[in-house]
Amino acid sequence: MKIGKVDVKVSIVAVAVFVFFTIFLLYASLYSPEVRSQLIWMIPALFMLLVIPMALNYMSRSQYDNLEPIYEAEAKPVRIKLINESMVGKPVRIQGVVERVYFQFLNRPQYLVADRSGEISVKMFTSTKEDIKVNDVVEVLGQVIRRYVVTGDPVINCISIRKIEKS
Amino acid sequence: MAEISHNDPDQLTESDTRLHRWLELAVPLFSFGGILIAFFFLGQGNIPAMRIAASGCILASFILAYLAWIRPKKDIVALTTPLYAVILFVLPSELIPDLILPILYAISLTILLVRLKYKFGEPGTAVSLGKELGGSLKTYIDRTRGVLKHVSPDTAHRATLAFVQFAQGDYGKVAKIAGTVSVNGENSRHEQSLVRAFSIVREHAELLDKSLTRPYTYQVFKPEDADLLANPLPPDTDKDHEFEMSLDNALLLLYSVSWTASERDRPHLLPRQGFAQKLISS
Repeated sequence: MKIGKVDVKVSIVAVAVFVFFTIFLLYASLYSPEVRSQLIWMIPALFMLLVIPMALNYMSRSQYDNLEPIYEAEAKPVRIKLINESMVGKPVRIQGVVERVYFQFLNRPQYLVADRSGEISVKMFTSTKEDIKVNDVVEVLGQVIRRYVVTGDPVINCISIRKIEKS
Repeated sequence: MAEISHNDPDQLTESDTRLHRWLELAVPLFSFGGILIAFFFLGQGNIPAMRIAASGCILASFILAYLAWIRPKKDIVALTTPLYAVILFVLPSELIPDLILPILYAISLTILLVRLKYKFGEPGTAVSLGKELGGSLKTYIDRTRGVLKHVSPDTAHRATLAFVQFAQGDYGKVAKIAGTVSVNGENSRHEQSLVRAFSIVREHAELLDKSLTRPYTYQVFKPEDADLLANPLPPDTDKDHEFEMSLDNALLLLYSVSWTASERDRPHLLPRQGFAQKLISS
């Protein structure tokens, strides 16, 4: 769903929760007059289960969209091998092939991107603009962070990931 | 210092290995041991015995977290078990105290211990923790030490600055530092190789700083530099690979010079050992 310029995506988990509670509420209201009397606030609350994830996704996506031009200007194109712990906080641009995709269904996708020099985890804390699959050739803009904030190997906190033509 | 160490810094000492084995045993021992003791006291109607089971689980969680912490590859689940132990066993709860929870928790800790041992590798050594030099990087530095030990401390210090700034991604600064080292007609063959390494690093740093790709012509090492290079190029290498390998070799040569001829810079080089190891493993 598009709100303004932002393509808002709701994760399948949020939809599943909404569907579960809708069925539960329908069932309960059929058999319980007490539940029926509470529907006036239960139905809006039910829709909030969808509205809140959508609002959060809209806010994070629009923030990422605002950051993208800054990263476009500042991120240096580097080989994956050159990314190391000393670069934490630096904006980088990498190109490579997606080898694995995790947690796409949670709207928190994580990719394993490889170029001929090595591979690195690319974490995104919101949904992507386009659907990225294994074997896609992509360009990633992001910031080098540690996997667990203060410790762990360097990974990329992704601001933008987009498919590029295979060269 | 790496040279005077009698143990292999890439291996755990025997006492460390023994200690880690005991700690690994201690996780199921404390967690299930506490439960067994609690069972014994419960049979005698002693209700506070629950605390013994809980204490065993808490202690085992902290040991598991320590075992996770000392590994270079961190397991976030094992690291956070003390937090869960405190939430489940220390903070006030409405749950009726019984032994089901400690038993399930002890089983979980044991599964996590097995997972940690087989999925997250061995505990860190002095090399993997960046405390000492080791592996193929040490072999390379030892191989080049003889010819690089006569490099002036000033040039070696510039090599440190260039390497450290490059590792940090400050390519503009690298270009400036590397540009201050110039060729002198009286330099020895190996010093000429070193100057070439600085030039290669400068060229790459300038290109990276301006976000430019490989130019048609670029600087490379000469065949006579081969004995100083970590990874000499095979003859039929393609242009992209040659370009990238030249940078890797140049950075490694700077690292070797810094380590050999500027001892006071070693504390700055050790934390970047992982980066150098990555470059040498190509």
